[in-house]
Parts: sequence; structure tokens; C-alpha cells
Amino acid sequence: MTSSTPTAPSPSPAAAAAAPASTPASNTSSSSKPSKQQQSSSQSQKPKPANKSKDSASAASAGGAAAAAPADGATAQLTPAELKKRAKAEKAARRARERAERESGAAGGPGGAGSSAGGGAGGGGAGSSAAGKKDGGSAAGSAGGGGSRQLPRRGSAQNASQTGGGSTKHKKTDDKNVAVFGHLYGQQRRTTVAGAGKEVHPAVLALGLQMRDYVVCGSSARCVATLLAFKRVIEAYTTPLGTSLPRHLTTYLSHQITYLSTCRPLSISQGNAIRALKLAISSIDPSTPEAEAKAFLGEFIDSFIREKITVADQVIASSAAQKIQDGDVIVTFAGSSIVKQTLLLAHKQGKKFRVSIIDSRPLFEGKSLARALANAGLDVQYSLIHGISHAIKAASKVFLGAHAMTSNGRLYSRVGTALVAMSAKERAGGVEVPVIVCCETVKFTDRVALDSIVVNEIADADELITAEPMQQLTGLPDPVAAATASAADAKKGGGSKSAAAAAANAAAESNTLTQNVSSPLTGWKESANLQLLNIMYDVTPAEYVDMVVTEMGSLPPSAVPIVHRMSTNM
Amino acid sequence: MPATSGPLTPGLASFLKTLKTNPIDTSIDNLISLLKRRQIRHSRSCATATAYLLRGVISASRTNDASKLIERVQHVGRRLMAAQPREMVVGNIVRRVLGLIRDEAEDDREGDFNLSEAGSESQPQTPRGLDDPTDALSGRHDGSDRGASRQPFSALTAAPISMFSLLSHPEAENSLPGTPISASPSGRLLGHAPTKDIRAEVLDGISEIIDELTQVDDQIAAYALDHIHSNEIILTHTSSTTVQKFLLKAAAKRKFTVIHAESYPNNHEATHATVSGANPHDDELLSTESFQKPLIALGITVILIPDSAVFALMSRVNKVILGTHSVLANGGLVAAAGTRVIARAAKVHQTPVVVVSGVYKLSPVYPFDFDSLIEYGDASKVIEYEDGDLVDQIDVQNPLYDYVPAELIDLYITNLGGHAPSYLYRIVSDHYRKEDISV
Repeated sequence: MTSSTPTAPSPSPAAAAAAPASTPASNTSSSSKPSKQQQSSSQSQKPKPANKSKDSASAASAGGAAAAAPADGATAQLTPAELKKRAKAEKAARRARERAERESGAAGGPGGAGSSAGGGAGGGGAGSSAAGKKDGGSAAGSAGGGGSRQLPRRGSAQNASQTGGGSTKHKKTDDKNVAVFGHLYGQQRRTTVAGAGKEVHPAVLALGLQMRDYVVCGSSARCVATLLAFKRVIEAYTTPLGTSLPRHLTTYLSHQITYLSTCRPLSISQGNAIRALKLAISSIDPSTPEAEAKAFLGEFIDSFIREKITVADQVIASSAAQKIQDGDVIVTFAGSSIVKQTLLLAHKQGKKFRVSIIDSRPLFEGKSLARALANAGLDVQYSLIHGISHAIKAASKVFLGAHAMTSNGRLYSRVGTALVAMSAKERAGGVEVPVIVCCETVKFTDRVALDSIVVNEIADADELITAEPMQQLTGLPDPVAAATASAADAKKGGGSKSAAAAAANAAAESNTLTQNVSSPLTGWKESANLQLLNIMYDVTPAEYVDMVVTEMGSLPPSAVPIVHRMSTNM
Repeated sequence: MPATSGPLTPGLASFLKTLKTNPIDTSIDNLISLLKRRQIRHSRSCATATAYLLRGVISASRTNDASKLIERVQHVGRRLMAAQPREMVVGNIVRRVLGLIRDEAEDDREGDFNLSEAGSESQPQTPRGLDDPTDALSGRHDGSDRGASRQPFSALTAAPISMFSLLSHPEAENSLPGTPISASPSGRLLGHAPTKDIRAEVLDGISEIIDELTQVDDQIAAYALDHIHSNEIILTHTSSTTVQKFLLKAAAKRKFTVIHAESYPNNHEATHATVSGANPHDDELLSTESFQKPLIALGITVILIPDSAVFALMSRVNKVILGTHSVLANGGLVAAAGTRVIARAAKVHQTPVVVVSGVYKLSPVYPFDFDSLIEYGDASKVIEYEDGDLVDQIDVQNPLYDYVPAELIDLYITNLGGHAPSYLYRIVSDHYRKEDISV
């Protein structure tokens, strides 16, 4: 579904762009109307492509002479950014004229050519805006428009520098992208809320950043958070005049969804939930009063969360906890909320077992799981991915969480899961450890995956560079942080350091100290040929999974497509 | 003691520096404490230190008597191996030195067949033989300093042997060819007169071992082009000079891609340094190695990944090349933690696993208890200081090594060439003598 959600919003800006573009094109030239439209449209940010295409369309239909009129109107009120746009409009007009001249011979040529050029420009504009930056569109647009009049000189110089800078930058990032995963480096994750569409609700803005920073992390958590945010969006929503809620709300929501997906690619569960929500919206009768429709949708979201996640988790936890027996050693990987719930429930039922948590860089999700389980009084053992073969030696069962289950029965989960499952299945002693996956059916998808390369998510490679907290701990005078660090902190750090050094192996300590001061990777982006790869997920072969515990019962992985079909048809 | 003096941080460099000046017993104790404190870590550093120490031990023990040398080396070797039983290279080097002495002694014995020559050769040695008692006495002094428990034993054994050798000297010279032959089986090597300078031969042999240790990586790297073809994707793990040199050698001729798993948390800093070409801060590496170019400087694309991504990427990997800590006689190996899952993932994906290792890492030990080979490290590397409260509540484990069974390995490349895991026992029997397997 990760593909379906990004594709869903993309038609909408294009459609929005196409709809207004067609109207002025069909109307014959009226010089006042475009300028008025421009005024109104300049207020809102979204219709930029529409605006652009409108300009070009009107200019094309009016010919070169008419292009001057909207341009004058624009300079009166608009910023340099608008100047650029005007230059583009001129250029589009010129191009249309040229084409018209080329095609001339036919008497009805200009009109048809103009409209087609306008449509093309509108499509291009929408495409570039979807890609993220408007200057990309402007640079592309002005590439051919080198010398028209006074303005173009300045514009062309600017554009040349822009395009030049853009291309070198592109080259550099390309070098840092791992070639095999080239298809996954689509867009940088959004870093700020700046540039987010006006219609994006504050709750969604906040959620986007939380998801990006892994504050809201985990497939179900993200799903629930998205639905709750959308509930607030719907509560705050009022249907604009001249349209109906079921028609307009879907496009309105897709702006929110696009924003969320630029913060972090959507999870399977998010996609499934959004699809269900959109289905519910479209099923509303257009004649229903708005308040009633909104209440219905709020109710729908609540029941979806309750049925698909909250209650489902309880059902899964209780049935998975039955699989735990006294004396078991449960191995789990990273921090799955449903596995945590299962283990806590089994502990509450009075079962005596040990948990061995395997964790991985860079998220260390297992740490919070370990803390939660230890606080509840469980016997917890913790090691990192390098200790798998040691942890699995004593294991009697492996419990795994899931990001998604694909239709070919494979488990799509946090990267490293496959290693744990593999170790469980291929233990040296020849005894296989059962691998049990806990997964709500909302995480089932009709997509299939054979390897972890085609479908995956790339996180920022800088996350892999060793974190700084070590420096604070050691209290060494770090040249960069020294200015910001307070003296008291430094003293405290120094004290703890000397104590640690006295207690532990001093030489090794000093060794790590010197190495932590500057990680050898800090300048990795400057060193050619060096790439860092930080993928989020991997695909575990179906034969490593013995059982999938869902709210519909415990199934073999081969049952995933059937259950998925059942749950989506209902 | 530690960080105050920069160049004299305890380690291989400081040990070798002080080896010349310090009396040999101080050096032995020094190395034992270095091993115990894990201030010498890498296999090769341990091997080099052991070899140099044994050279010192042999040159310090002023005897030409093979049995005394063996006994002395065995004694030192036992102490070193007891200091750090999991550094199997220490035992390997000790065994090889013992084997050297035995070989020399046997050559010597065979040389006795033509005694007319041997006798004339041994003529200039007679004065040395007469000097022997005093030397033996001084050696005994050293022995008494070393360990009080050993003193009575050495006092008992040293005196009779030196007396015996005194007496046997003229006898060997005067007797018929038949007598030494009948004498040597009875006394084995023990009471046999040294007819040539065993000590010098053994010292030469140890120097050869030391040379081998310095050249082993280059020798292994010479096979690189036989195993790496163009446009290959090679996965490796942790930082190993042997692997790095192997890849560098191939990189000079061919273009390929290297995926490097970082082996967090025990060796990731060194791995990062290896990958990025930053100066490794590791004092234990010899200075020549720190000047090594990184692969990226040769135009090789290096992709650094966390250990968890190994399975995800394995479907794209053509070969897995691994370094190791030590190799066991059954073809299994003890390598950095995380190696086993990598080898297993490679097996699952039908990707060949190549292990590059010097012969000196090849241990005659047959593992019956794999767990005893595994060393556990500092838990604070797994849970950092800020999460210190967790340490009280949970059991944090940081294994340093993995045992990788032989069936996961497809090929070993040593300085002698490429071998199947099943062939390793032959190399073991070539390098170590049966009587030394349990030192």
C-alpha cells in the first residue's frame, strides 16, 4: 500500500491544476479576468501550479501582445518570485507562439495549440511541485528561455547558477546513495514544517515531525496516531461552498496524507487505515448533513482503532501468552508493542519465564522494552545483534513483532528480524526453535516481496554515526561542545570519568575516549566512494515463520492472503 | 600507569621496546599481565609478542640441551597460555617453537650417525660444554627468581642434566658409532650431547616465525586475484588487516564493491576508521599498517552497514570474506561476534564464505566445549552510561567471539594457499608435533 497512498494524492494536485487551467483557456482572452484570478490565487499556496498554467494558458491564447497586460498587473503587487513566474509565462507564451507558427497553415491552429501548451505546462508544473521544490520547475522552465528582454539576463544568470548548483548537488548525493537501493532514495525526509501546505492541520503537522523523529514509532502506533490526528482534522473541517463532504473531504485529507508521507513513508497499517477511512467517506450519502457525517466518521475512526488495534492487540496478547510456558526462554528482537503486551500478560498470569531481547543500531528500540519488562519484574537478558547466536542457544521460543505480512507469507519487519528468525531455525544442535509472529490483520498487505531490496525504507544515514552522548559522559573537553557545555557539567563528568577509570580498565577506557572524541565517520560525506546504508526493514522468508498470531486466530504464514482478502471484503 | 605516557601505553609496542632492556623474567611477567589485562588483543599482536618473548627466553637460557630448552619453553608457554587461554595463537606459537626445538634435536641425533665429522665439529664446543655448569647456574638463578614453586624442581633437574652432559661429552667423542644410537632411544632427547648449536638453530627458526608473522598478510593477499573478479559485491565484517590487505591487493587490479558490516559494539570504531581511512587510534596495530590506504582511495565503493542489515543485503552479495580470531583443527573458527549469523545468512543464500587467516592462527585444539572458547566483554559497550540504571535490573551480555562451525565455511585461504575446511587437519599435523598438542 505504500505505493497506493503516494499515488492517491498525486492525481489531486494535477486535477486541481487542470481544472482551473481549462476554464481560462476555453474562455477567450479577457485581460482583467486572469489578473483577478491571480490575485485571489496568490493568497493560497497550493494553486501555484494552477496559477502558472493559467498564466501560460491565458498568455498562449491571447498571444504575445496580451501577455504584457497580466505582467504589468503582476509587477505592481508581486515579489521577485513572481517576476520569475512572469518570465516563465512569457517564455511559455513565446514557445506556444513558435509552435503555433510552426503549425500555422491551419486557420484554427492558434487556439488548439495554445490550449494544448497550457495543459502541458500545467501538468509539468504539477509534477514539479509534487517533486517538492518550485525552483526546480522554474529552472527547468527557463532553461530554454535564455534571452528574451531586459529581465531574462538577470533571470538567466540566476537560473544558470541554480541549475548548476542543483546538478552538482544532485551528483554528490547520488554518490552517497547506494546504487542497489537507488529507487528508494525518492525524496529527502522533510526537516521542518516550513513549506507545508496551508491546509495541513496543526495536529498532522506535529504528528509528521513526531514520526520523522521516531517519537511515534512502530506500525500500530503510527496507525493509531494518524487516525486520531485525522479525527481532529475531520472535526475541524467545514465543507466549502459548492461541494459536498464526501467529495471534498477525500482530497482535503490527501493533502494531510502527502504531508505525512514526506515526513516518513507511510506504513502498511497506515495505508490500510487510510484506505478504510476513504472508503467510509465515499460511502456517505452526499445529502447527509455535515455534522451528522462528521459524527459518523469520528465514530468510524474510533471503532476502527478499537476493533483493528486495541481489542485486536488484547486478543493477540491473550492467545500468544498461552504459548508461553513455565521455564521458557523467549527471544525477541527490537521493541514490538504487541510482544511487550504479550510478555507482560503472561507474566501477570504468573508464568515463570525468561526474556532475551536482541537489539540493534541505530534505534535501540529494545532498550525501552527491556526497561518496561524489567520494571514489571521479568527476568530480562539484553544483547545486541552480534550476540544472536549466543542468545538463541538457550531459547525455547522466538516472538517477533511485524511491520507487515506480505501476501506471500513473508514477514516484513525491523531490519535484523530475519537474522533472528534464521538463527532460530538453524541452530547448531539441530533443534528448531519455534518462531511466532504477533501481527494484527491491519498489517496484512496484498503486496508481495521476495527480497528486502525492492520494498524497503531508507533512513538518514547520519543516524549511523556514533552518537555524541558518550562525549558528555566522559567529560573530555570537546572543542566543539566545550563552549556550550556548562562548567558544572564538565566537572561532574570529569569526576565520574576518573572514578570509572580507577575502577575499570584504564587503558581501554582511554582508548575509547580518544576514539569517541571524533568519530572517524564524521566527514563521510566528503570522502568519495564511501557510502552508508541505513535501511529500516528486512523480509524474513516464510519458512522461518511457524505461526502468525492474529486477532482472527493463529495461522500459518501461507494464510495471510486469505485473511487479508477476508478482512478487506468485510 | 596507563594513559599518562603516550608512546608507552601498555601494548605490543611497549612490550617489544622493553623486551631488550628488561631481564627476561620481567618480560615474561610483563607479557602475562598484558595478556591478562587484555592490553594485547589482536591475534597477531599476541603471536608476535609470544614469538619475541620465546626468542628472548631461548637466547637467555644458556644451554644447548634440547630437553632443557623444551622444558623451559613449556614452562613459559604454560604460564602464558594460562594467562589467557582464549588467545589460542599464544599456544600455537609456543607449540611451533617446541616443534622447532624437537626438530633440531632430532636432526642433531641423525647427524650423529657420521660421528667422525660430528666429533670434529663438536671439538670447539667442548669448552662451551665446560662453561655450561656456570651458565646453568645463572639460569637456575633466574628460575628461582621466577617462581618459588618451581625452584626445587629446577634445582633438582638442572644439576643432574648438566652433570650428565659433562660426562657424556667425552663419551660421545670417544665411543663407537654404535653407542650413541643405543643410548639415544633410552634417553630420548634427554641425555644427548649437543653436537651443534641447537640454540642458534632454534633462534633462527623463531626469527623465521617472526618473519612469517610480518609477511603473512601479504602472502595471503597474493591469492586475492584468484578469488575476486570484477564487479563483484563482497561482504566483510569487522576490521581485519588481513582482509583489508586482501581486498586492497585485488582493488589494485579490479573494480568491485565492498559491503562492510560494522561489528557494533566491540569493534565498530576500528571498522569505521578502516572504512573511512581515518587514522586508526589503535596502538596495537603496528605502525606500518596504520599507513595503509583505505579501499575508497582506490576507487572501490565501500558501503558501511549496521550488522542487522546483513540478511537484507545478502541476496546481492557474491562472496563473503571474513577474518578470524583463530581457526580450530576441525575447520571451525572462533571469530568476532556476529560472524556466525553472517556465515549462516550466506549459507542460506548460497553465497560462498571465504576465511582468510594466517597459518599461525590455526590451532591444533579440537573444541569439545564451544562455550569455553567464547569470551564475554564489557557490558557498558552494550548499555551506555546513561542507561546505567538498567544494568541493575537486566542481564546485559556482550560476547566478543562466535564459534562458527566448519560447515558454514567454504574455503580457507592461508599463507600456504586455499584449503577446504576438511583439509585443515593436515596443515595442523604439518605444523605441530603430536607430543606438543597438549603443552
